[in-house]
Amino acid sequence: MNLSLSSVEWHAGSWKFSADASFCPGVHLVAGRVGSGKTTLALLSSRLIRPDTGTIGYDGIRAQTLSFQYPEYHITGSTLREEAESYGVDPTAACARAGIAGREDQDPFRLSRGELKMFQISCILMRTWDLLILDEPFSALDCRAKLAVCRAIDEIQSGIVLVITHEQHILPRTDYLWEMRSGVLTGLGTLPEALFAWESAPGPVRMLRDRGILPANLRRDDMLEAACRMHEYG
Amino acid sequence: MQDARIRLISVISLSIATFLSVPGAILALLWLFLTPKILKGAVKSMAFWVILLFVGIVAIATQLSGNDGISYLVRTSVIILLGFSVYREWHPGEFLGLSVWLFGKKTGFDLGCAMEMSMQGLHEASRAFTRSRSALSLKGMQPGIRLIPAMGFLLIHTRLMRAREQADLLATRGYKAGGSCCPEFRTSKRDIIMGILAILILFFSFMPVRDIFILLM
Repeated sequence: MNLSLSSVEWHAGSWKFSADASFCPGVHLVAGRVGSGKTTLALLSSRLIRPDTGTIGYDGIRAQTLSFQYPEYHITGSTLREEAESYGVDPTAACARAGIAGREDQDPFRLSRGELKMFQISCILMRTWDLLILDEPFSALDCRAKLAVCRAIDEIQSGIVLVITHEQHILPRTDYLWEMRSGVLTGLGTLPEALFAWESAPGPVRMLRDRGILPANLRRDDMLEAACRMHEYG
Repeated sequence: MQDARIRLISVISLSIATFLSVPGAILALLWLFLTPKILKGAVKSMAFWVILLFVGIVAIATQLSGNDGISYLVRTSVIILLGFSVYREWHPGEFLGLSVWLFGKKTGFDLGCAMEMSMQGLHEASRAFTRSRSALSLKGMQPGIRLIPAMGFLLIHTRLMRAREQADLLATRGYKAGGSCCPEFRTSKRDIIMGILAILILFFSFMPVRDIFILLM
């Protein structure tokens, strides 16, 4: 199973997106500053927009989906029940997982954006995907919800998962790190070595890196463990 | 066309010309060919063809009832094409500048502000609609009549939310009525030529076709 972007280019006026990359099964964290081209990568990878040049290959990928940054864009039903059913998941379980148990017959627009985001992410994560693209999955969520999403991503056993985010504090277990740099997708490799090359690294990662300490991964526990090592190194 | 004032005059002239006669509509269509890039973009729009479909149905019904359906089809199609082409040329802030230039900093500013917000709303609705279609395709669902209420509600809801935010923003910034705006317009030679052509088309549309040929001879 593989997602490949071969010499892909896409233009919006004078701005250019370019990528030459291959995504194998595992969790791929794509970081980058605002406006660097992360959402373009999500749209291209899910084939919602076509590249101007180059090809996007889906090798062995049959079930794929994309989670938009704004959860309202996903709404196609007039109740949460209909909405959950549109994903092919059990409405009661989806509501319970999103922390809004018993509200199956409620209008999705009556939820706050955070609640709606959690509900929509829950629906998506309740199914198995060969390719799962999560564009800013942590936006509008509080710390507790972000941690719940991270745990759910950690539990994914198969398929390619692209977590595209500029989140700086709460991140999931990551197998491969990528960075969007002014429209250019750059592969940084596997963790923890990839952390050396991460230009837009979160503050805690930069602080640890400057002291020669690398966390094993990007989960909160990994960061805490690395922070504890600071005392050992003085 | 860079100058919004000339564009407005051209659109009004061509719309009247198109409404008045079929030759006027054909001349307006030829005028649109002077900006092929914009015309191509307008023709590529799915919404244009959907509206044209409804116009076609009405034209057939008109023709079958013994009236001139073909004339209606030609004139209405060109007016719609004109609208789509002009819409593609619009830049944010242009209506505000135009309105202030026309009606001054009080009434003009308020009117321009309302027009700008309406245009932004149209843009946002178009984007929201595209995203909703993407959501349907991601869920493996086919767009159908059953989904029209949900999608319509989504568009209205997002628009109302945005309108409330905009109203709050204006109130926070102390907006009551009017405002200062110094519009600047850049006029190219091409703008002037196209403007004159549009007025000439309006002039010709008032004349019977036979008289136009007499004039040309």
